[in-house]
Amino acid sequence: MKVEAILRINGVAVPVEIEPHWSLLRAVRDAVGLTGAKEGCDDSECGACMMLLDGEPVNSCSYLALQAQDREITTVEGLAAPGELSDLQSSFLEHGAVQCGFCTPGMLISATALLRRTQDPSEEEVRIALAGNLCRCTGYGAIVDAVLATAAGRAADSVP
Amino acid sequence: MTATAQRPRLIRQDGREKVTGAGRYTADVVAAGQLHARFRYSDHARARILRIDTSRARELAGVLAIVTHEDVPDVLYGQMVKDRRLFAREEVRFDSDVIAAVAATTPEIAQAAAELIQVDYEPLEAVCDPELALEPGTPLIHERWASYEADETMERDGNVLGRSTIVRGDATAAMAGADVVVSSRYEADGAHGVPIEPRAVLAQWQGDRVTIWSSTQTPFAARSGVALTLGIPESHVRIIVPLLGGGFGSKCDFHFEAHVAALARKAGRPVRLVFSRREEFVAPDHRRESIAIELQTGARRDGTLVARRARLVLDAGAYCGEGGFFAQLAAMHAIGPYVIENVDIDSRLVYTNNQPSGSIRAPTAPQTCWAVEQHMDELAAALELDPVELRRRTLIEEGSESPTRQVFGPVGIRHTLERAAQMIGYGQPLPENEAIGVACGWWPSFGMPSGAYVKLNGDGTATIVTGAQENGSGAVMGLPLIAAQVLGMRPEDFSILCQDTDAGPYDSGSSGSQTTFNNGRAVAEAAGEVAQRLRELAAEQLEIDPLDLELAGGEVRVKGSPDRSVAISELAAADAEILGKGSGAVPEQPACSPDSGCLGRLGMESFLEPQLITHAVHVRVDPETGVVRVLRVAAAHDSGTIINPIGANGQVHGGVVMGIGQALTEGMALDGHGHQRNPHLLDYKLQTAADAPRIEIAWIETPAVNGGPNGSKGVGEPPSVPTPGAIANAIARATGRRVHRLPMTPERVWEAGR
Repeated sequence: MKVEAILRINGVAVPVEIEPHWSLLRAVRDAVGLTGAKEGCDDSECGACMMLLDGEPVNSCSYLALQAQDREITTVEGLAAPGELSDLQSSFLEHGAVQCGFCTPGMLISATALLRRTQDPSEEEVRIALAGNLCRCTGYGAIVDAVLATAAGRAADSVP
Repeated sequence: MTATAQRPRLIRQDGREKVTGAGRYTADVVAAGQLHARFRYSDHARARILRIDTSRARELAGVLAIVTHEDVPDVLYGQMVKDRRLFAREEVRFDSDVIAAVAATTPEIAQAAAELIQVDYEPLEAVCDPELALEPGTPLIHERWASYEADETMERDGNVLGRSTIVRGDATAAMAGADVVVSSRYEADGAHGVPIEPRAVLAQWQGDRVTIWSSTQTPFAARSGVALTLGIPESHVRIIVPLLGGGFGSKCDFHFEAHVAALARKAGRPVRLVFSRREEFVAPDHRRESIAIELQTGARRDGTLVARRARLVLDAGAYCGEGGFFAQLAAMHAIGPYVIENVDIDSRLVYTNNQPSGSIRAPTAPQTCWAVEQHMDELAAALELDPVELRRRTLIEEGSESPTRQVFGPVGIRHTLERAAQMIGYGQPLPENEAIGVACGWWPSFGMPSGAYVKLNGDGTATIVTGAQENGSGAVMGLPLIAAQVLGMRPEDFSILCQDTDAGPYDSGSSGSQTTFNNGRAVAEAAGEVAQRLRELAAEQLEIDPLDLELAGGEVRVKGSPDRSVAISELAAADAEILGKGSGAVPEQPACSPDSGCLGRLGMESFLEPQLITHAVHVRVDPETGVVRVLRVAAAHDSGTIINPIGANGQVHGGVVMGIGQALTEGMALDGHGHQRNPHLLDYKLQTAADAPRIEIAWIETPAVNGGPNGSKGVGEPPSVPTPGAIANAIARATGRRVHRLPMTPERVWEAGR
């Protein structure tokens, strides 16, 4: 039996009707209609489904949608205003960090969370932060470079 | 730093939709009123089907259609051997043979209904060991094999599906006269492509025509398969591929499009299938083949390879799929890019009751190369030669003759060896438990028919309409670089319409590293037609001979007087029909003349414009645990001229890391009864960002004479070929012991070192 709930996604409150057992991923994809987050394994192994919950990255495939009520949910669609790109998104494109793109939404979420936690991450810290996001195309090097370059760009911008 | 650094860094056109989440993959596409499909798979690896009863499943509320073999024409299909039905009828031959498909209003109801289908079986003994399958008296996986329609070169002999032999001279006599003879046996487990996107199919009928959105790498093969198995004309089938979330070969060939189309037809509603990760592992007829490899090589004291004998047994699994050429390809890799005076290679592809094998990134090559390159290091040790020195003395060069008497043109393999050794610092003193290993490999370019149109738009931009398929590698996204060069326009002036069988001309899909190689030529030819038309139009305006005009900077201008020019946008606005089409002549396979007695010739007994590779890796082995850490990789590649450096580098980075996975962690754990014990990412471990090392790349650009545009070769598959062999040689050097089974898991490394 479906129940009514309100999910606050990318700054917008969205009323939904969902089954109580639905994952946050399914609710966001099927009930809200945001398909940026992907299902790669349904097992918290690949990270393609990652979203930010109150700023913390979670595998939305393994998180009940109803538990996400009253929390701030951010998906890849919410990382920049429509028609714009965040510096991190631009950096992914410039560094060739996107090939098939299926892991990209989760990678961007993980990296966004990392850069909020740490302004000046080392390569090792970036690699560990992204270890929960599997990519089969890039070998990770370009993704790591894109994240490090974003951090460096922000540091340069913040110099008075 | 190579010259590629100066070439344009192309930002891919599909990048923006991919980083914003706006891009649609097949599982993101929704048709109004769509139902959800689930399959009922076999419960056994080998069994006779006595009865299929769908009555209880049909009664479940929400079920709109159930399809079995009774609902589709009785047609056998398969690219090289027609050995398979859409739905099993009398017998199941592996544990994920599809018996029935269900369409219901929710995935949960469809799953429940699939489980309610009653299937009565007579279980039969499963044949899961390919070498055992060769023994006389072993049950036949396909009792009617002799009567199947098949490519003439396939071997119809018991459970042998394909056999390839390469014979030159007298290997036995040469071996007897050799100064040193080394023998080895290696075994490689099966493995998987593991695209991060599990496959999905959505089918919707409009009258007697069906549109199918599918995550396939080969839309035209999918179209043919649907038409054949459902008994409808190809023109009634349209395959559209939304964004494809990786394939690595696993999404090549026709797969599940017809099952879903049959369901949609019976239900009278659109139907969508989305695979679980478990299904993505076990159900497709594509996974990397296990191979047992026996090698014997005789050499003179100076390293000259006088003879090689090889016996290879490859697991084809239950059906041929598109993997019928594997025996010959493996035979060529058992020789490798070396000069060997006498050879006796026998390679057999064998039916079993395991999951069918099919192309995964450079099929047969990483495993066979892993064995051959370890064997070469063993030979070097026996000769008391440095492994790099032995390779230096034996690798092919321009003018070398292969065992099938192909005479090679310019090949940069020796340069790749020197460059990789230099980049890794070969010979430097290293801490205890660390070592460097080197391996060389090769992979052919595949010349195939392929077509494209280039259409000039009224605003002076152009659209490339191509049958080629973008699997994520960026090969299709790089096509504007080629058209822009021909037309004197900017790459960003081109839009791309691709992966829709009703739009673009035929292309064989994103397989065989062939997109730039073949479709690139087609795009260049199509752009050339447009350029020709633009020159004619401009010549009229400028009152000059078209031959005196050139295209540059978005203009057609007089050679030597660039101020006399017409803008391409002006010509485009005046003429609505500037359209070029191209197919590009398919390069001929290099001549060769194998000795009589060579069996199973499928056209790979010579390698068209071989891509040549050396990888050197630096590893650390923990002797207490057997855990191997790859610290650095130096990858030197001759793929001819590099057209799109950002894309080509991406292929090497990804391919090497996939090769590391195959070397250390990725292997199918089979239970001996046809079931895989690790069909999930927890136990089938991919490399993560924290595992992956830094990779240094060098492009040895030896322009291909008989190749793709601008002297290019393929790029995509070779990067994973020599990685496992290089890691194996580094492990052996660090520990003093060889690991004879792939993947080289901590347990196996530890066991070998005891």
